[in-house]
Amino acid sequence: MKKFLSIILTLGLTLGVLVGCAGGEQASSSEGKTIKIGGLFDITGATGDVGTPYAEGEEAYIEYIMSKGPVNGYTIELIGEDYAYKIPEAQKLYQKFKSKDKVAAILGWGTGDTEALRQQVAADKLPFFSASYSENLKNLEESPYNFLTAASYSDQARSVLKWIKDNHQGGTPTVALIYNDTAFGKSPIQDAKDYAKEIGIEIVDEQIVDLKALDATSQLLNMQKKNPDYAIIQQTWGATATILKDAKKLGIETQFIGLNWATGEGLIPIAGDAAEGFIGVVTHAFPYEDLPGMAEVKEYLESQGKTFDDINQKFIQGWVAAKILVEGIKLADEPTTGEGIRQGLEKISNLDLGGLAAPVTFTPDNHAGTNQIRLAKVENGKFEVFTDYFGYE
Amino acid sequence: MRNPFVMECGEFHVNYKQNMAIWKIPRVRMRIYLVIAFFILFPFIASDYIIGLATLCGIASIGAIGLNILTGFTGQISIGVGAFLAVGGYTSAILTAKLGLSFWLSMPLAGIITAIVGALFGIPSLRLKGLYLAIATLAAQVIILFVISRWDSLTGGTAGLVLSRPQIGSFVFMSETSYYYLMFAILFVTVVFSLNLFRSRVGRAFIAVRDRDIAAEVMGIDIFKYKVLAFFISSFFVGVAGALLGHYTMIVSPELYSISVSVEYLAMILVGGLGSVFGSIYGAVFITLLPVVLRSVVEILNGMFPGISDVLVGMREVVFGLMIILFLVYEPEGLNKIWRNIKDYFKLWPFSY
Amino acid sequence: MTFFLQMLVTGIVVGSVYALVALGFVLIYKSSNAINFAQGEFLLVGTYICLTLVASYNIPFIAAIFITLIFSALLGFIVEKIVLRPFIGKPIISMIMATIGLSSILAGFVHIIWGHETRVFPQIFSENPIQLGEIVIAPVYAWALVIVVIMLVIFSLFFKYSKLGIAMRATADDQQAALSMGISVKTIFAVAWAIAAIVSAVGGVLLGNINGVNSSLSTIGLKVLPVAILGGLDSIPGAIIGGILIGIIESLTGGYLDPLVGGGLKDVMPFIILVLILMFKPYGLFGKKEIERV
Repeated sequence: MKKFLSIILTLGLTLGVLVGCAGGEQASSSEGKTIKIGGLFDITGATGDVGTPYAEGEEAYIEYIMSKGPVNGYTIELIGEDYAYKIPEAQKLYQKFKSKDKVAAILGWGTGDTEALRQQVAADKLPFFSASYSENLKNLEESPYNFLTAASYSDQARSVLKWIKDNHQGGTPTVALIYNDTAFGKSPIQDAKDYAKEIGIEIVDEQIVDLKALDATSQLLNMQKKNPDYAIIQQTWGATATILKDAKKLGIETQFIGLNWATGEGLIPIAGDAAEGFIGVVTHAFPYEDLPGMAEVKEYLESQGKTFDDINQKFIQGWVAAKILVEGIKLADEPTTGEGIRQGLEKISNLDLGGLAAPVTFTPDNHAGTNQIRLAKVENGKFEVFTDYFGYE
Repeated sequence: MRNPFVMECGEFHVNYKQNMAIWKIPRVRMRIYLVIAFFILFPFIASDYIIGLATLCGIASIGAIGLNILTGFTGQISIGVGAFLAVGGYTSAILTAKLGLSFWLSMPLAGIITAIVGALFGIPSLRLKGLYLAIATLAAQVIILFVISRWDSLTGGTAGLVLSRPQIGSFVFMSETSYYYLMFAILFVTVVFSLNLFRSRVGRAFIAVRDRDIAAEVMGIDIFKYKVLAFFISSFFVGVAGALLGHYTMIVSPELYSISVSVEYLAMILVGGLGSVFGSIYGAVFITLLPVVLRSVVEILNGMFPGISDVLVGMREVVFGLMIILFLVYEPEGLNKIWRNIKDYFKLWPFSY
Repeated sequence: MTFFLQMLVTGIVVGSVYALVALGFVLIYKSSNAINFAQGEFLLVGTYICLTLVASYNIPFIAAIFITLIFSALLGFIVEKIVLRPFIGKPIISMIMATIGLSSILAGFVHIIWGHETRVFPQIFSENPIQLGEIVIAPVYAWALVIVVIMLVIFSLFFKYSKLGIAMRATADDQQAALSMGISVKTIFAVAWAIAAIVSAVGGVLLGNINGVNSSLSTIGLKVLPVAILGGLDSIPGAIIGGILIGIIESLTGGYLDPLVGGGLKDVMPFIILVLILMFKPYGLFGKKEIERV
């Protein structure tokens, strides 16, 4: 029995490896009129709750645009894979996209993989869109092939600080920064502190709350000693909900303002009542907003037999990311190569996204599409947008 | 004609050197040379993607051999491999990026520094055995990673550090093939060293410590010295693997070296075979390729039964755990044993026993 | 002073949950000499089952807890039979890896069925904080403490007076002697694992009510190791005291030392304590010294 099993195991493994290697080779032959895009998705990983709708949005847009016919004669194919926010997996998938699928651009996801692959995409000349809006991705010397489709975390923080300055009544506003101990969390902090100094806001405290924390009492109690008027949160929904709930339990009256990943429909069920009054940065529209750009989304949803209730803001975020990439492909002279798509992207100027996100501009010197955001406040269990797009300049 | 499988017939050893050779029979040696030649020529027939995978497998093998020296040969369970890989990777990163040393210096230095750190964490092994040592190494893993993420000025904190590919003169090891050869050379040296280690006095002392350490001490083997030495040597190789990996992916960050990496490496040596150098390689290849194979299988199944991928996509963790348990239950000595079973089967073929 | 007391109280409550989970861990070690690295995942499974019962099927909380306990006991039985039995007597590394493999499988199933996002229990305890002088305690904390104390009392009585409890203690002491007295050691193993799963589930449900449920709850499985070592791997009172001590230390570290280091120290502190204990008193506060024979 043992021997039988061992033989089956070895055979199975050999078969698996052979299949794995052989299976993909046919795909590259039809390169002539197809542009392939690699997609790094987090569906089952730690950020899967926001990663899944984002991935769906990206796939949806590509499906939608293909249903309208080829783009400048090319078919666009999105090859998406789940890497579960495991960086080594992302690297292996990158190898596959680059060598086996021969993609011309990549729709990435998290700060972790964006950072890890930054050097390689630059060397391999593949435009990389990510849902990580880290400031250092703007640096064209370090990351010439990374593009930001929304305001960077630092720009978001700066715009929030400006809003605080403009709207605060009664003396110098005091602000605390709450973030987590990852590259994502720390990304905007130094820039926020520098800008605050510039415009005359006092940063009185900084607290670290883990991304998956279920308890933030000690950090909040420490923060309360400094009694800040506002606290900027750079977290995802889980930690943000923990912070808001614990703040409510402790009776803390600081106004919490979250950056884009702290904001979203998913926050409300977890935080419950504690979310009332929370202000969030909105980089992409909520499906329940009535905006011109929603018409396309509606068309797509109806063709799938779905409605706006089936999607959320992260879906729109993915949709927009894919849309911007396709615009770049449309404007490119040589859209089958990474270099070509990059040039196409750099021609994008003030691309109107129908209000779904701030208008995006790329140039050869600037891959930061925009620095504008909107703000929304939670009222009666729903995010109500109360500003228009604004920046900090 | 000579039975192709029964190889010992007609082989007489007339001196000690012949008797102690790693591969005693000339025909087997020829075959080993052929295998080595195949792996050297392999990049010419394989695509970049496969070469990249092979490089990852190779780097994992070096780390797995290191771990096996500690856990398989000396019996000291270590759940802290991830942290030592981190130390290796970060050391090399700091030496090249911040101090401007060349890769050829930084890699061995990374190995040595990791070895020293490893030996430090091996000192508790004087008082701790088995489970307690395993838990201590687990604590080491957590603490080392914490120090790395906090010590911003040295390690770049959670953002990590960027590394560049090694270069000789003006030739940069940018392509997959060039890095594969680099990895292969180092793997070759590692394997030769390890195989020889266990023919030497030190290696035999390690094995004695694993089997019955109190009895070994009674026989005059200084178990403390050898345990720390085992940690030292093992961590050296793990550090080298970490440095290689860092320069391959050109980035180091704390997220890459979590406890799940330690668990993966332990799985590699368990699946491959504790106490076997080639077993470590088999195990490393198995575990590294497992997600790749899974993905392909899911893709194929998805072609036949559309929609099944949604269900299977989360199965990775389950399959990983299942593989570990299946191997532990059915073949605790791992792939190495399976391979030996196959060889033994053919030795007696066509007779059944 | 209030700050200190607030931290202390949080520490005691969280620590008591640690104590409960450590109890299960120590129980398994005491009776079947096995280390269960999957304790955190037992917690996870139990908590999610309870969550689904309460949130999706709208079963009243008390009933849901009982059903969860039954499920957990079943889980414990199944795990013991499939994962433990083959490894009795095998080297310890096989056992460790087997439970690690198990934790991977359980975690994988949880992720497939329930995903990664943070979820909440519908409100069961009132939200109005209880005021004790100047300290604010959420009622859910108080309830957690009460429930843990009740469970610990139940278990102490169980081990002291019930037949099964005494049988378990006998098996932990000397398996051979217990066998010769007619105690079915196999049943004891099964019960030990079932109890371990049950206490983890209760601990998880309590923590889930306090803060929310997501897959990070399983990290408690790792935190339990310092607790068990501190108290002594085979000592039940040790597990309880160790749990509360670690909870308090963690909380105070978070309150006082974290701001100095920039945060994160509170999660590492139990492990630093672990290393210190292993260096100076490896058998913990109450553990028995292991005597090795050649």
